[in-house]
Amino acid sequence: MKHIKIIAKNTISREKGTGCGECQASCQSACKTSCTVGNQSCERENRTNRQEKN
Amino acid sequence: MVHTFKCLDKIFALDVDSGSLFEIDELTRKLIENRKGDSKELLSSFSVSDTKSADAEIEALIKEGVLFSNHELVEPLNESVVKSMCLNVTYDCNLACSYCFADLNLRKNSHMSIETAKNAVDFLIQKSGHRHMLEIDFFGGEAILNFSVVKETIDYARIQAKKIGKEFRFTITTNAYALSDKVIEYFNENMFNVVISIDGRKEIHDAMRKTEKGHPSHDIAVQNALKFVKSRGNKQYYIRGTFTRLNKDFAVDAMELFKLGFNQISLEPVVLPYDHPLSLRHEDILELSAEYEKLAREYQKLRANNNDVNFFHFNIDLSGGPCETKRLRNCGAGCEYVGISPNGDIYPCHQFVVPEFKMGNVNTNKFNYSTPLEKNSILNKPECLECWAKYFCSGGCIANSHHYEKTLFTPHFVSCELLKKRTECALALKE
Repeated sequence: MKHIKIIAKNTISREKGTGCGECQASCQSACKTSCTVGNQSCERENRTNRQEKN
Repeated sequence: MVHTFKCLDKIFALDVDSGSLFEIDELTRKLIENRKGDSKELLSSFSVSDTKSADAEIEALIKEGVLFSNHELVEPLNESVVKSMCLNVTYDCNLACSYCFADLNLRKNSHMSIETAKNAVDFLIQKSGHRHMLEIDFFGGEAILNFSVVKETIDYARIQAKKIGKEFRFTITTNAYALSDKVIEYFNENMFNVVISIDGRKEIHDAMRKTEKGHPSHDIAVQNALKFVKSRGNKQYYIRGTFTRLNKDFAVDAMELFKLGFNQISLEPVVLPYDHPLSLRHEDILELSAEYEKLAREYQKLRANNNDVNFFHFNIDLSGGPCETKRLRNCGAGCEYVGISPNGDIYPCHQFVVPEFKMGNVNTNKFNYSTPLEKNSILNKPECLECWAKYFCSGGCIANSHHYEKTLFTPHFVSCELLKKRTECALALKE
């Protein structure tokens, strides 16, 4: 494409099985550094990656 | 919903519902804005063929469902599970920071007993349902001042978790003023993440973070924190600073932290009543937004030169980020997440230590979910529903909404505007 460069597509996961709640709590207050839910990782995905590596 | 923005000399389009991100040219930006119908951008300076080809590209992405996508939100189910707690092991502190939200009158003789801490662990396990990964964040005051309880709590939690096949993840926040070699060794062995509060430049830090007797704390805190970081290996830590009205040029402080030898850095905007002399206010937003972009440029340069550095708020994971449910639910305060005060009282979080929000006590095992906070999701925040950044912040800190906007479901305005700007910077850095 000449006018549009794709950086990322469909970054919000909505598949079946998501919403498991195993990810880190995302305190939004400024006195802890975890304010933005967007910069957290999916624990399920992390765990899958860890298992694949092992 | 599509949000177009300019940042770091480039133009971007974020498709909000699909979370797709594009770098676009000026013609495409104008075409997108015209399609949104909010404005009528003039296209006369562009050729007809260029306009047609840009429009065709937009159409292709719309057909693919990654531009002008539309997704109907559904309220996530509340499972009545507690999986995470902030254990306030003491209100006592060896510093008396100017912007601290804790009540100074509560400080003395405020250590949590080991019995209360163990009851808190039992409470968490009992309420955790089928959740496997549980979290305890040790917080103060200065948590190190009650270090024996921190250690005993961890030992106890591990034994109890093992019995039922669960895991604990421990984190701690410290001002590093009393960080000894023994404590450092313990942190490295036991803490998943350690957050250390240092504000940046010596003069800024020392103006805010003094001992109760008024002595500066910068040099000791930095010296201890550097010793800790050198021994930390690749384990998680963050140097977390606070910026106030005194250092609206906070990019200098972030760079100072890097120069001191720290590479995991976060600087948070202070949240105080708008009439407090240190508060950040509506009229500061433009200046602070420009400062975020300045920091993003410095950050870009550092990383281009292969420096290993992370600024927390610029870390947005576009490939393995949280799912929609997590993004809708916010922090879970009063539901999945609770704060335990030193006497065992249960509150929605460490910021919500307000009698009207008390939920019970771990020593009496009395507990009620915080009904108003069960509704804490984007779907119940009208401003957030209309906001392009909703999937990145989930509506921000609900305690700040309550304390400063006097309502639970209206986001704190200044925090909200700053979050939007730093999210734009984070997205622009993905290019």
